[in-house]
Amino acid sequence: MKNGREMSLDYVLNLEIPFTTSRQAQIAAKVLVPDPILKPQDFQVEYLSQDNILAVHFRGIDDRVLRVGVSSVIDSIKTIIETIDELD
Amino acid sequence: MVNLNTIAPKNGRSYYIALGLEGSANKLGVGVIKHPILKEQEIGDHSHDCHAEILSNIRDTYTTPPGEGFLPRDTARHHRNWCVRLIKRALKEAKINDPRLDLDVICFTKGPGMGAPLHSVVIAARTCSLLWDIPLVRVNHCVGHIEMGREITKAVNPVVLYVSGGNTQVIAYSENRYRIFGETLDIAIGNCLDRFARTLKIPNAPSPGYNIEQLANKCKNKDQLVELPYTVKGMDLSMSGILAYIDSLAKDLFKGNKKNKILFDTKTGEQKVTVEDLCYSLQENLFAMLVEITERAMAHVNTSQVLIVGGVGCNVRLQEMMAQMCKDRANGQVHATDERFCIDNGVMIAQAGLLQYRMGDVVKDLKETIVTQKFRTDEVYVSWRE
Repeated sequence: MKNGREMSLDYVLNLEIPFTTSRQAQIAAKVLVPDPILKPQDFQVEYLSQDNILAVHFRGIDDRVLRVGVSSVIDSIKTIIETIDELD
Repeated sequence: MVNLNTIAPKNGRSYYIALGLEGSANKLGVGVIKHPILKEQEIGDHSHDCHAEILSNIRDTYTTPPGEGFLPRDTARHHRNWCVRLIKRALKEAKINDPRLDLDVICFTKGPGMGAPLHSVVIAARTCSLLWDIPLVRVNHCVGHIEMGREITKAVNPVVLYVSGGNTQVIAYSENRYRIFGETLDIAIGNCLDRFARTLKIPNAPSPGYNIEQLANKCKNKDQLVELPYTVKGMDLSMSGILAYIDSLAKDLFKGNKKNKILFDTKTGEQKVTVEDLCYSLQENLFAMLVEITERAMAHVNTSQVLIVGGVGCNVRLQEMMAQMCKDRANGQVHATDERFCIDNGVMIAQAGLLQYRMGDVVKDLKETIVTQKFRTDEVYVSWRE
């Protein structure tokens, strides 16, 4: 079951980050989307902006991969929020 | 025919303003630069003389304790912590009140460099671009150094020696590319100096090899060099062997290993060589290699100008040796800049990026802004030169 193994990203985390406006949430999603995932077979992220909410959906092959991936995305989100806060 | 004035500045201004963000290594730099519209730039190659005005040039360096190098993860954290504050300061110093109206373009380093620090800066660049609705331009770090050096020194078509902590290249321009004539086959010269500095437990700030240079100046034995491997390979260099060898000498020196005949007199056990002597010999040896390949490149492309850029380019001894070589050739000139522009900075990214912008090279899709650790100098199409 080679295919089955590749698809089994069973470790899941959903984050919802509220922004002040829907434009800000859209900007955050646009900034985050382009960067490639180093090991797509082990880790996947989806970004969605709904109104003023940025929803991030993580899937990982185990909890370690999930933790590392989530923390790197949160670091980026922190930079985005600080930029919006200080420079908008 | 190169025409740098095809794209009009925003908001009906008679000048362009660019913001540059640099963070490919342990230095985080933000700079703002201004180019007036010049009539002569419509007809031909005047890219070395843009009458650029530097409105702000701010840098913050991530420094590690003596004996330690900087790691990508910690450097990226430093850049994330400081990036927005530095942008704010740079804009304030440049008296830019409303970036939406007063900025034409945001330039960032696409590579080469360390992935994590590059990424942390591009996140801020993308956000600013979307917030203010200003186009982005991706800049090759090496091209940034070259264009800043040309603008400051007004050197029209020099052979460029690019020496820093991560790069060692001899570059010359031909047919819209900065072509690499020679380069290191293993580690960069700044890396070689920095790692020797780590062995000596001396700090690496402010630029690669600075503290080695200070120690070398104190050398009292300048006519008696410690013999080191001299490893020029055609137009290329190799430096890892030299580093390993001088590291072992330094370790023997610290341990007081009297069996080492180079360091100690076999009969009396007296110390013949000091740390200062080692630093001096290392510098002389490495720089002689650089001067040799630079001279050969000058002969190839038949030019008399040399431009030294990159963090190691601040080294006064390197500039002296290069000047000596140029003097021996018919009316050669050495162009070098000081630490404000030699060491990584944001202004150089803004300078190269603004030239690209004025030639119509802007990011159309944010996918193009993905940073890359490997990005060779000759991959960039230099549209702003004949």
